[in-house]
Amino acid sequence: MSRTIRDLVEAAVDALAGLAVRGEDVDDEWSYVADIEAAWRARLEEVATTRGDEPASGTVAHAVDLAIDEVARIADPHRAIDWLSTFPQVVLVALGEVP
Amino acid sequence: MVHRAADLLAEATFLQRLLARAVMNGESDEAALWRSMFPGLFDPISASGDSAEGSARARSEALLAVALEVAGRGDRVRDQIRGAIVEALTERLLSRRTGGGAVRRERRILFDGVRSEIHPYDVTVEVPGAAEAFDCKWGARGIKADVLHQLDDARVHAGDEDARLRVGLVVFDADRSCRVRLARETAPSAGTHLISLEALDRLATGEWHDRALP
Repeated sequence: MSRTIRDLVEAAVDALAGLAVRGEDVDDEWSYVADIEAAWRARLEEVATTRGDEPASGTVAHAVDLAIDEVARIADPHRAIDWLSTFPQVVLVALGEVP
Repeated sequence: MVHRAADLLAEATFLQRLLARAVMNGESDEAALWRSMFPGLFDPISASGDSAEGSARARSEALLAVALEVAGRGDRVRDQIRGAIVEALTERLLSRRTGGGAVRRERRILFDGVRSEIHPYDVTVEVPGAAEAFDCKWGARGIKADVLHQLDDARVHAGDEDARLRVGLVVFDADRSCRVRLARETAPSAGTHLISLEALDRLATGEWHDRALP
């Protein structure tokens, strides 16, 4: 069964939350981590609101899945903070959106 | 490696720059994985053999290769290389507008009576009456109070001497992330321009002049 844009965004938002949990280990960046996660989650959710029911092509779904796999590998909290910005941009361009 | 990456990034599209950022931040060292993550950059070249298409694809491949080289270094070296790449890229883009002779790296700007605030700026444009100074950062997280103070001090002290100095932060990261970071800072930034990943080409056109931070 093909997945929709909403399915992909929901998976990406979950992965973003996982990155935030890892980034929170950097004590003095705790509130920045919370703010940047919220900012990008809101942008991703806008896409689900406007295009959520659209079917995602196999290529797009694969690109988003790979991005999620990549961030799942990130263990270092500092690198996780870098990816809190990079990951949603990669997902958004895969979905054909402007970050 | 720094010069090769900067040369490629200077000619790159936003999407190619984002690829470079992701790979240089990443863990995976398999080129095929990154190609699949950025399908728009690595589509098979059409049967017509369009030369622009081929050249864009070749640049994407070259950027991927150099980004993987950077990513393959240890964390500390990777951080240094990435910072140097952003500076070298800024230098190249500014040179398109101003000519290479006016663009300098790691320069101190001196103002009479404020020697204690002498600070080396990553990249400067030294044109009489239209000088510019930039601090370059790999990510939004590099935006900190000391950086904002240094840029603003330089601008204000130049004004005190009736000199015009435009100051900017060049950040190889998304505008959205930079603004989240800036919203937390109380250091003065109203006279500082933000040139984020999406807007890097404005360094070459000068359009960033009208985009000071709110």
